[in-house]
Amino acid sequence: MAATTLEETSSGTLERPAQIEAAAATLRNSTIVRLLRFALANVRRRPERFALAVFGIALAILSVTVVRTISSSFAITGSDSVTRVLDGASLWAVPAAGVHYDSEVGAIVADGPAPGLAVPDGWTATRTIAGVWSSGAGDLALYGSDAIDDGTAVVGSQAAETLGVRSGDTLAVGSADLAVTVGDGDAVVAVPEDVAGDVVGGNGWWTLTEPADLAGRNDLGSMMSAETGLPSTTDPAVQPEADGEGLIYDAVGGSGATTFEQKFSALFSGQVTSSAFGLISVIGLVLGFVIAISSFLAAVQERRREFGIMASIGLADEVLYFFLVESALVFLSAYLLGITFAGVAVWLVVPQIATPVAWLAAAGTVAAYLPAMAIVGALVPVHRLLQQRPVQLLGDSA
Amino acid sequence: MTQLKLGLAYGLLSTRRRAGALVLPIVTTATGAFLLVLVLGMASGISAQAAALGHADEIQRAVVLIAVTVLLVGVVEVAVSTTRTVVHRTRELGVLSATGVPRPPVVAALLVEPVIASVAGAVVGSVAAVGTAAVLGATGAAASGVSPTGIAVGVLVAVVVSAVAALAASILPTWRAASRPPVRSLSSGA
Repeated sequence: MAATTLEETSSGTLERPAQIEAAAATLRNSTIVRLLRFALANVRRRPERFALAVFGIALAILSVTVVRTISSSFAITGSDSVTRVLDGASLWAVPAAGVHYDSEVGAIVADGPAPGLAVPDGWTATRTIAGVWSSGAGDLALYGSDAIDDGTAVVGSQAAETLGVRSGDTLAVGSADLAVTVGDGDAVVAVPEDVAGDVVGGNGWWTLTEPADLAGRNDLGSMMSAETGLPSTTDPAVQPEADGEGLIYDAVGGSGATTFEQKFSALFSGQVTSSAFGLISVIGLVLGFVIAISSFLAAVQERRREFGIMASIGLADEVLYFFLVESALVFLSAYLLGITFAGVAVWLVVPQIATPVAWLAAAGTVAAYLPAMAIVGALVPVHRLLQQRPVQLLGDSA
Repeated sequence: MTQLKLGLAYGLLSTRRRAGALVLPIVTTATGAFLLVLVLGMASGISAQAAALGHADEIQRAVVLIAVTVLLVGVVEVAVSTTRTVVHRTRELGVLSATGVPRPPVVAALLVEPVIASVAGAVVGSVAAVGTAAVLGATGAAASGVSPTGIAVGVLVAVVVSAVAALAASILPTWRAASRPPVRSLSSGA
């Protein structure tokens, strides 16, 4: 083949067009591209079936993605709310009546007065009053602690939006007028302890930070438990005993790989995935898988003779690749379509819960199922084919 | 009109002949219908569960959306099975159009199968759901009770949605198959 010389260099002539031509030919003839072209040709033969299979699986993926979006949105909420409460502290001593996440105000509030606590030397303990404040503009979570300077209030940006205040404004909480600083994006109004006590009563909790020489230990909870007599746990699912004194949640201890915040947010998302919701969406996914298998089996049935020819010239295992590529094509298209549908669906149906971040997290989780589904979906029809001898495949008239 | 009637009768006969192929689409549609009827029948219980999570209204809407979606997934299987039927009967369709049978009765005959499969699936699923709801209600497993109105609405929605969706999804493949030139249909391998 005569190569066209493009330019002369010190090292000789560059035969670029020929090289590009060769590279393009290699690409065109590379196995994966050929497999793809073969798969596309088969898709074109039965476009309706491809469209239906993709659409069906996309609907199944839609249902799972919607549920996962809601559950990750809850998980993010849970994680944010507990991070707000702990604010870097290691231990969290809650009252015997417990604490709960109030979905109306979007924050954790206490159900009883903070437990009596004799704080050992060296520890930093902050008592926080936490309750629901019925402000003129709507209910908001009010946290009161000594960490806030007298005469000031730190208002989360969501709360600031509700209240219509900006940094530098004055906010009337109860009988006190406070200078506002707008803080992070939560819905909590943080004020000095005595102001909060006047408005929402005495319910609250303690957050405790260990002295520097104890930093990094993972038995802080049991140490504090021994000092104060309160039981301690690293599991946020444990509730304090109603007739006890209270409970210490150890946010840094424990031996698991997950952090306290992660476990806490898992409690939130678990409520969604383990409800009727999660079950229905999983059944949807199973039905989607049935569609994939049934459409592949139909393809096998209709192309028996073709596979008979392949088998008789010695292609056996290679048939698996044909199906893998087709299956990957179907599932990938369905996935893209499904998560797009899901994005539209959550935006229309649950606009307050769904956030783009939660949707992306859900799309990521769902992507994890797909390779397994695509591979098993391709294996089933191939298994069918490989059980038969080429002669049988060739002899049948479809 | 007579032609359409004959087409429907022909479709009914061939559906009976191919009853075996209808089992899978009926099962998938029935699963979807079962869930939809149960969800609508036990809406109050799900509302209570959703209230604990906050955003009760939105969660309730999302549950119904997902139940309907799952029903649609079941119905798509009906349409997939129709594409299989159509391929299977290409030569028969060729004979029909070669002997001068016009397109509408042929399409009508081909659509009998998806409609029967989807409606049968919806009915089977609804019956199963009503039975389950009755058992749950009697044993007290459904704490907030089962609403008969919800069940009735669920059955209606399940039957109508699956019939309409099956028709909508099947009409394109059947129309295309019935529009092929008879020479091609007759000479194709399958």
